[in-house]
Amino acid sequence: MASQILPLELIDRCIGSRITVILKNDREFTGTLLGFDDFVNMVLEDVTECQTLPSGERVKNKLQTTLLNGNNICILLPGSDGLD
Amino acid sequence: MSDEASPPPPDGTPPPAPTQSSGSPSGFLKAVVGKRVVVRLVSGVDYRGVLQCLDGYMNIAMEQTEEYVNGVVTNRYGDAFIRGNNVLYISAGEPI
Amino acid sequence: MAEVSGEIQEPFDLIRLSLSERVVVKLRGDRQLSGVLHAYDGHMNLIMSDVEETIMIVDPVPEGVKPSIRVAKRHIEMLYVRGDGVILVSPPQRE
Repeated sequence: MASQILPLELIDRCIGSRITVILKNDREFTGTLLGFDDFVNMVLEDVTECQTLPSGERVKNKLQTTLLNGNNICILLPGSDGLD
Repeated sequence: MSDEASPPPPDGTPPPAPTQSSGSPSGFLKAVVGKRVVVRLVSGVDYRGVLQCLDGYMNIAMEQTEEYVNGVVTNRYGDAFIRGNNVLYISAGEPI
Repeated sequence: MAEVSGEIQEPFDLIRLSLSERVVVKLRGDRQLSGVLHAYDGHMNLIMSDVEETIMIVDPVPEGVKPSIRVAKRHIEMLYVRGDGVILVSPPQRE
């Protein structure tokens, strides 16, 4: 059991690295993880927001440093620099 | 998460300056209060304005607020209270 | 610190300072209220009077036709708003 890692420890180890966050809706955010809290609200830097429209078209939007509400977060992909 | 929990050193010297003061969510919020921000709601509506303050529910008070729907200004509010459950993200409107 | 941002230190201060004033309330379901705020609580449940409710109705149209938006209005003497429907509250302009 020595190498057991809790899920949030894994995310803690991603601080400073690129990460992609997939939300419950049709949005994804990719950025450098600066930090997070107990609610998994996340602070990201050099962020690209990507929304998939019903037509399948993907709309991207660049953002400054962003606090993402943890409420809508579904999946975290450590090390990912965005899906295409 | 990690930079605030460490106890002060026993010899009374001040703790090292937090190098990632804007890293944690609370540090980020301290850094953007009084600055221009973009608040996007889950519905996709954006509010651009100056962040006055917020609370633990992400309820937000903003001033000089412009409401954007699909990139077009649809309303202006001198002050606005936004109920936190609608907030998707708060983004710095300028580099911090 | 207290005087830097006027009298607002937490978001609810904005609402407290709007008691007995006319406020605009944006609600879920494309509804908007304009009325006098009498009471609120931490859920943003509201009591308002002399309210004008504005409802945006997007009529279904055939594909390719520009959707038309109808605006319906009605007046309500006094009402209670359940907080979970509230998106935004805008107080009157402060001087």
